[in-house]
Amino acid sequence: MLLAGGQGSRLKALTSKVAKPAVPFGGKYRIIDFPLSNCVNSGIDTVGVLTQYKPLELNSYIGSGQPWDLDVMDGGVHILPPYVQEDEKGTWYKGTANAIYQNLSFLEQYDPEYVLILSGDHIYKMDYSKMLDHHKAVGAACTISVMEVPMEEASRFGIMNVDHNDKIYEFEEKPKKPKSNLASMGIYIFTWSKLRDYLIADEKDEKSSNDFGKNIIPAMLNAGEIMTAYRFKGYWKDVGTIDSLWDANMDLLSPIQSGFDLYDPDWPIYARTSVRPPQFIGATGTLKHSIATSGDEIAGTVENSVLFHSVTVEEGATVRYSILMPGAVVKRGAMVEYAIVAERSTIGEDAHVGADKSDREDWGIAVVAQDVKVGDGAQVDAGAMITRNIKGVKA
Amino acid sequence: MNDLHGIIFAYRENSDLRELVQLRNTCSVPFGGRYRLVDFALSNMVNAGIDDVGLIVYTSYQSLLDHVGSGKDWDLARKRGGLRILPPFSFAGKHGGRYRGRMDALAGVYSYLKTIRQDYVVLASGDLAANLPINEAFEQHIKSGADITAICSDTTYTDPRLCNYFSIDSQDKIVDVAASPSEVKGDVASLEVYILSKSLLMSLVDQCAAHDVSSFSQGVLLANLGKLDMRCFRFDGYIARVVSVAGYFQQNMALLDPGIRSDLFRPDRPIKTKDQSNPSTYYGPQSESVNSLISDGCIVEGTVINSILARGVRVEKGARVENCILMQRASVQEGAVLRYAIADKNVRVCQGRMLMGHGTYPLVIAKNEIV
Repeated sequence: MLLAGGQGSRLKALTSKVAKPAVPFGGKYRIIDFPLSNCVNSGIDTVGVLTQYKPLELNSYIGSGQPWDLDVMDGGVHILPPYVQEDEKGTWYKGTANAIYQNLSFLEQYDPEYVLILSGDHIYKMDYSKMLDHHKAVGAACTISVMEVPMEEASRFGIMNVDHNDKIYEFEEKPKKPKSNLASMGIYIFTWSKLRDYLIADEKDEKSSNDFGKNIIPAMLNAGEIMTAYRFKGYWKDVGTIDSLWDANMDLLSPIQSGFDLYDPDWPIYARTSVRPPQFIGATGTLKHSIATSGDEIAGTVENSVLFHSVTVEEGATVRYSILMPGAVVKRGAMVEYAIVAERSTIGEDAHVGADKSDREDWGIAVVAQDVKVGDGAQVDAGAMITRNIKGVKA
Repeated sequence: MNDLHGIIFAYRENSDLRELVQLRNTCSVPFGGRYRLVDFALSNMVNAGIDDVGLIVYTSYQSLLDHVGSGKDWDLARKRGGLRILPPFSFAGKHGGRYRGRMDALAGVYSYLKTIRQDYVVLASGDLAANLPINEAFEQHIKSGADITAICSDTTYTDPRLCNYFSIDSQDKIVDVAASPSEVKGDVASLEVYILSKSLLMSLVDQCAAHDVSSFSQGVLLANLGKLDMRCFRFDGYIARVVSVAGYFQQNMALLDPGIRSDLFRPDRPIKTKDQSNPSTYYGPQSESVNSLISDGCIVEGTVINSILARGVRVEKGARVENCILMQRASVQEGAVLRYAIADKNVRVCQGRMLMGHGTYPLVIAKNEIV
């Protein structure tokens, strides 16, 4: 069950028209491609995607599930929006646990032994079948995937305190004084019969915020259920903010250092794409330490950047340390640095977007939202968030 | 659904393509980085709104079948109709299953022809790289009331021995045919794409079978001069028919020209191909790429100049690739140098090797070979 209803408000302009899981990532993908591909590669063939916020683009992106081989006769991918129940008391999903509760009848239709709960805002490759093996071997009611984070950062995460057998005895959400550095990755496996009972009980509690982290996990711990931590080693990144989204994209440019490799034939990440001609690097173009995708036409200079499909960088334009999403156009003489330019936006001639990294307090990644025109010669400051067209400046 | 059915002759043998056709027929030869030649015929038909396509194959077609699969990537995997692959021996095994010409091939799939549910048929060969407006030709065919409409070009686009030339009158009616002449004749060159009604096609196949005529040019075009209303539809876009290794090399390199590229790959009539779920292409910190067409899924850490790379190609650090065509998953290891070479699928050029051909005689490294 993939929780994909989050608003992703910290991604600001990038999620003004789409849900966070549908935000483009890594040249060819959207964030949701990672958990979906992980499912398929782990041998999971029945996936429910719970949607709520701005679902149109996400729904059509997932479609029949064909790109992920999830268009199967029995199972496959199901989009699960909130709906009016038989008592005509339909509500929005109140919390992560309530979202699953509202889909009890979906789960009962498949009557699974175990349920895997995922969120749609993390970039990682993980074999869930190994986590399930661990869950079965321990005989746990709940297994929570954790990873070690630096102790000084531990207070930003949900922290699991475990005994020497990795059995969880305490869960602390963003503790001020963390006792361990095992951070929850938001990936849970539950024995379905157990989870079902706790979901029903939680729903009856009117004070509950119907959330896995805040309510279900503590309730299970209090009741003395066997809960275990599954230690994950490898690349995992929350891309919930502009900075972390930019960072994670840049990680792809140094696959050895970051440990994140998209070219592993044994663990392919699938995406819905349409065919475009190969990318063209012109005689005047330079493309270094970057990722580029089909349909790109590069006549300018591109360094340390991630280019999605159908991007145009005209002669004399420079793009560095930036992310150009599908259909972005950078016109002659323009400079784009430390910036994210969203779908189909145009940077006018000699315009300047973003600024070189500095210690200035207000420095940050500049963002140009989708379908925006930045006029010729216009200046966009570091850290700016551009959601409307900017008029050109006459030279 | 429109009223046109597509038939693609996807079996041209062409020994002049040397190693490129050792393990495949001309229609599945890679072209333009990520495509195979047959993608153009298939996409042209789908872009004209054609729902049903028959693909006639008979020799070295394993690679072709692997590429087209169920037809899903062209939206041709349908409950009713869609793509039908027509291998030899499926109906009749005359002449040892060999087709001596297009009329033989059509006679070989006669039972299939009977099941066609559309009133009109477009015949095309699967080795022509062009973005054809078949729907416009079909409209003209209906409006003009012609019996047969041939899509033609004013340019002499290929070896004259491989096509027909027509002399035409002021109404674009075909008044004379030069079938596979040794030199260019007539006014226009046929792209060997013909539109005609199903009933006419059936009767022509019957006639040719009765008189043991195997060739379309002889049995249809020449035999019916003055009897049938045959007209040409002019097409002035880019055309490539691959006939030799040097030609193949030049026709690929022509795609580095933005004008030709935008003519062949138009957003309103996209050329589709098999989906392989490749990641984007990675360009390393020390890489250099100039004037090159590069497909997804490559890892470029060396230098690539004036070249065309298919999907999944690797160019390692310090390797140099100039004026080359590298096909799927070819790899050029550290320090190796390739100039004027065509490296077929899965070729591996090991560390430090140097291989050079010439523009007029590009070196071809056959599929799966290790240098």
